[in-house]
Amino acid sequence: MSSLRNLQERFAEAMLDPRTTGAELDIRANGLDGARRLGIYRNNIVNSFTEALRACYPVVDRLVGGRFFNYAARAYLRAYPSRSGDLREYGSHFAHFLQGFAPAKGLAYLPDMARLEWARQLVYHAPDAKPLDLSALAAIALEHHAQLRFKLSPFAQLLSSHYPLLKIWEVNQADFEDDQAVDLAMVGTRLLIIRRGLSIEMQALGSGEYALLRNLAEGKTLGEAYEQTAEFEPAFDLAEALKRHVLGQSLVGFYLQ
Amino acid sequence: MKASSYPNRNPIPARAGIGLRHPHYEAVLERLPEVGWFEVHSENYFGESCPPHHYLEQVRNRYPLSLHGVGLSLGSTDELNVRHLEKLKALIERFEPGLISEHLCWSSAGGRYLNDLLPLPYTEEALTLVVARTAEVQEYLGRQILIENLSSYLEYTESTMPEWEFLVEVARRSGCGILLDVNNIYVSAKNHGLDAYAYIARTPGDLVQEIHLAGFSVNCFVSHGNGSGAILIDTHSTPVAEEVWRLYGWTVDRIGRKPTLIEWDSELPPLDLLLNEACRAERILEASYVLAA
Repeated sequence: MSSLRNLQERFAEAMLDPRTTGAELDIRANGLDGARRLGIYRNNIVNSFTEALRACYPVVDRLVGGRFFNYAARAYLRAYPSRSGDLREYGSHFAHFLQGFAPAKGLAYLPDMARLEWARQLVYHAPDAKPLDLSALAAIALEHHAQLRFKLSPFAQLLSSHYPLLKIWEVNQADFEDDQAVDLAMVGTRLLIIRRGLSIEMQALGSGEYALLRNLAEGKTLGEAYEQTAEFEPAFDLAEALKRHVLGQSLVGFYLQ
Repeated sequence: MKASSYPNRNPIPARAGIGLRHPHYEAVLERLPEVGWFEVHSENYFGESCPPHHYLEQVRNRYPLSLHGVGLSLGSTDELNVRHLEKLKALIERFEPGLISEHLCWSSAGGRYLNDLLPLPYTEEALTLVVARTAEVQEYLGRQILIENLSSYLEYTESTMPEWEFLVEVARRSGCGILLDVNNIYVSAKNHGLDAYAYIARTPGDLVQEIHLAGFSVNCFVSHGNGSGAILIDTHSTPVAEEVWRLYGWTVDRIGRKPTLIEWDSELPPLDLLLNEACRAERILEASYVLAA
């Protein structure tokens, strides 16, 4: 192993785990000892990861409070150190982490809120896509319709939760002025999160419509997806729902296989 | 291929520019301020065709643009991150920046990223590594890159040469240019008891293609048994300090007019404050008596 590689490994270890020693020996004291100098870097690094995470999860931050969030962010950094030079990818495991984070057990909907906020990040940074070719779709013969498969838009995400997630999100926006109380016994949430122009829209879906999009997003044929959908909503209007999501660009492509 | 022969169709003028951060997108596009150019952090545009691109495209249509990377980890002993380079290349093809810069630093070890600009020991081993990787990056991008000196809060016992010598050697051997961060030189010199003017005096002006200016913060400490002291931290959260303006004026007089960027990344002030700082840099550039090298 090269001397440079050793030095970098020791340094990184000292940043992620303050209990490790050794890296301070690589550093000239010059008025302030090596451990304190490493501490300056550790402090900068932990703060910048914490703020990057907070920027992705503003509602989680608001729900648990700044100090608890800082505590959770430090534990997250140890559990899931960054694997990319692009800091935007850093928060991708936060919902999963919160799921197993004992101190947050009291807020059962917290991991789902983190999922929602991450979905918003993904949607915001996702590429554009051309709308679905309507004339090509119209040219598909009726007998092939059940075999059609559709492509969910890259700038759309589906998310379901047992909690009234959309309501919790709304009352935790800075400009929300009404009563903040949310009845957790309210029905769960099924959401289509989609970018419209430069902003993000969150649309509550009925159980049939959600099942349809979820099944199509998983690559099922229209026929298979409809069967699943009809289980939730026997009177589901498939043609109307398809039209809405094709024109609304939640579905951006189709293919026959 | 010698890096200086990589084509650049959109040179940045030797004027003052400002770092563009998303809270200022709308103010910039609405007011179209009289500023020479803009610089953005490359990684903030690593998404594809997303809202940040929409704004950057409009800015790029009206101003010269420079891309400044913070995550390539040029000095790391990990493999070069090809995915990162691919994204950077796509960004360059789309926005045709006048300058592309990275830092003389490392930020990952064993695949774990610290997402910070960490100093290297200035040794032959590190020099060989940085030269090879810089050349590789330039070859891949088909463009010359600039490398920026860091501000640092430590020095390694292993170092065998001063930072300026390391930086100049990287530029000479790899064909890259230098992005001289005058604030960083000031901050590091204060932190390590070195002479900022001597650093700049030893850096050949013809290698410098861009200058950065920013503000720092002061952290006071009490050291066990050693009395107390202060460390300057490069926070990019305050106006440029008077001593740094003086050092900048002296630098421009010595090496000539260079594109100069006002950086401000945290606790972002109103756009006007940034524009005032850019105006001050512009006046210093105009008053300088040496023509650009």
